[in-house]
Amino acid sequence: MGANTKALKSRIRSVDSTLHLTRAMGLVASSKMRRANEAMRNGRDFAQSFGNVIDLLASCPETATSSYMVKREGDRTRLIVIAGDRGLAGGYNANIFRLVDTLSYEKVYPIGKRACDRFKAAFASSEKYTFAQASELARQLCADYIAGEYDRLGIVSTKYVSMMTQEAEVTWVLPITPPENQEKSVVVFEPDEQTVLQDAVPDYVAGMIMRAIRESFASEVAARRMAMDSAGKNAQTMIDDLQLKYNRARQGAITQEITEIVAGSGS
Amino acid sequence: MNTFELIITTPDGHVFRDQVQCLSLRGADGDLAVMAGHVPLMTSVKPGEIIIQSGEDSIRVGAVQGGLLSVAKDAVTLLAADFSWKE
Repeated sequence: MGANTKALKSRIRSVDSTLHLTRAMGLVASSKMRRANEAMRNGRDFAQSFGNVIDLLASCPETATSSYMVKREGDRTRLIVIAGDRGLAGGYNANIFRLVDTLSYEKVYPIGKRACDRFKAAFASSEKYTFAQASELARQLCADYIAGEYDRLGIVSTKYVSMMTQEAEVTWVLPITPPENQEKSVVVFEPDEQTVLQDAVPDYVAGMIMRAIRESFASEVAARRMAMDSAGKNAQTMIDDLQLKYNRARQGAITQEITEIVAGSGS
Repeated sequence: MNTFELIITTPDGHVFRDQVQCLSLRGADGDLAVMAGHVPLMTSVKPGEIIIQSGEDSIRVGAVQGGLLSVAKDAVTLLAADFSWKE
């Protein structure tokens, strides 16, 4: 029993505690999964309904001159960047930051602890973000946009494709782009198209922010579950490997001792 | 009496989705009521009561902080950041 077996034993112990950690985090992620999915669906419903209304408004010729619609010459971009509160979720946070790095921007509004740390802003949780907060942010952004302080607003978030796949994506919110082939319908607007659009945009932006946050959170939880699953599997194979090595070393030491005793008694 | 489908959507999902007879609320240009067969209409909604009548004597009252009402041929959608029932 040399120093070798001792070192192996302590390594097994440390890998084992990592295994416990990954297992616990995986379980927490699975239990959060269902609620996160439901919240995502609700957020999607709201944003989708609002999107339909905005599309209809945007396709009216009367709104083409609205300051929310006119494409501007400048390139001052503001981004809302949504990342997780915690790490250990595979490439979830890294993918977001990699996408941000490919974009040129003037100002970033980070949501989620990881993003806040990176862009050195006050902490805003992405897990517990409320609609009231989103609404306030949207109102401020819309006011700044109308005042001409920037030209483009994008949301960098993670799209939930399935349990296994999540993709970082950027959604351009402002200026509003009219849909390509919206069927014309005769709709009465009260009081008029411009005013309705003006009133609706802040809520629409808030809805988009909320949808992005909830979808990102569902993606984060899914990514963490997958990451923890594979980390757990790796830890288990590592333990098996080390255990084998440990047993061999132990057996080797015993064999050597016996040989030494036999050799000693024979002389 | 003819009915139409009313959907009330908030960030927490559809809080109401059912056939109703009449919906009254406060629009941008004043109080208005929507019944089946209403002309397509879109208006912002001012803070106030939402009165939903789904039958002879079944009336429910809710409140919004503001929102958007969209009356289409097949359905009426009320989009509100915040909706609550008055009980």
